[in-house]
Amino acid sequence: MSPRPPTLREKRRYILAYIEPAGINIDQKDLYYVLIDAITSLWGDALSGVIMAAVVASQDRYVIIRCRRGTERELVIALSTITTYRNTPLALRIVATSGTIETLKERIRGIKIHDPDPSPLPECTFEKRQFLINQCNGQKVDVIEKGFKNTNRLFLTREDLEEL
Amino acid sequence: MKITDACVYPYPLGDSSVRRMALEARKLGFDGLVAAATASGEFAGIEVYSGILIERTATKDIINRVRREKNTKTVLSVQAGDNAFNRAMISLKGVHIIRGIQLADKTAFDHVAAKMAADNQVAIDIDLSPLISGRGISRQRAIHRYRDVLVLERRFEFPITISSHARSILEMRAVREIAGLCTLLDMEISDIEMALSGVDTITRLPVPAVMVV
Repeated sequence: MSPRPPTLREKRRYILAYIEPAGINIDQKDLYYVLIDAITSLWGDALSGVIMAAVVASQDRYVIIRCRRGTERELVIALSTITTYRNTPLALRIVATSGTIETLKERIRGIKIHDPDPSPLPECTFEKRQFLINQCNGQKVDVIEKGFKNTNRLFLTREDLEEL
Repeated sequence: MKITDACVYPYPLGDSSVRRMALEARKLGFDGLVAAATASGEFAGIEVYSGILIERTATKDIINRVRREKNTKTVLSVQAGDNAFNRAMISLKGVHIIRGIQLADKTAFDHVAAKMAADNQVAIDIDLSPLISGRGISRQRAIHRYRDVLVLERRFEFPITISSHARSILEMRAVREIAGLCTLLDMEISDIEMALSGVDTITRLPVPAVMVV
């Protein structure tokens, strides 16, 4: 089957989003299922078929999501209802929308990557409990409680740790 | 106009410190936050209002609590109950917001309560968490209840606030995303702007009817 000429092809839009928090390994296929579940739950099967969402690329913390032109609003609303991925809490923050994947990839290259700062200490104390520093970026510090009982991540700032 | 998230739960109620939530809120386009069980202040250029949420208890206890917090800068919210309870809370001076209207029964907020809310400048909160993390019937019920409240709001013009009820920075949403979610409730952009600045409206001191010069 020969490809359709450009004028007969469906117009697409691509949305660049980044994943919060850092350090989650995203599998494109699994993220696709989460995305489709969110869209179908919010808009139903009929509109999901019109939106035709797909995860077309992922790079570090960034993902590029495709949709049909004119359905960006519906897709963005559905993206804001994604709260977990493989039982891990996460959020997708929209960065930009474009008509080509290449523009978004350029945009990713243009974004100044903040390499995680070397954490001041591998461990810290907060509220009289010991934590391991998981991620340290500028003012933001993500910590995980030491031990095996409670491994939930806490989102703090350097100031919170300095106060103690 | 100050864009404010009308309720977040920082550490220890959630997993993010109030400073981290303020940093995130700035990035997401907010000017202020109402943080439960936190002292008010300014972090990262974000005004943090101290918030108190009174769950349904004896009316006498609520009156005492409201009286205690009267002259502070605290945003006082009461969890919605039945119609009589809501009317009593709306007429109580010092109560700023009625929350959880989506969990109350159908007749909990009627046109009489709406008129009283408009007269007393008490806001009704739209909690977006059922829309964000809810699925199925719970989300449908919340949308239905909010649409019903907004019909009354258009008629009586009482204040509305919008809150994410985020317990983590991951549950916070950008202003643009919140506007998108509010379009599910049939809200116009002007309504959304007004609702986002609802906390500013209810915490502003009332202009006296007679001004002494």
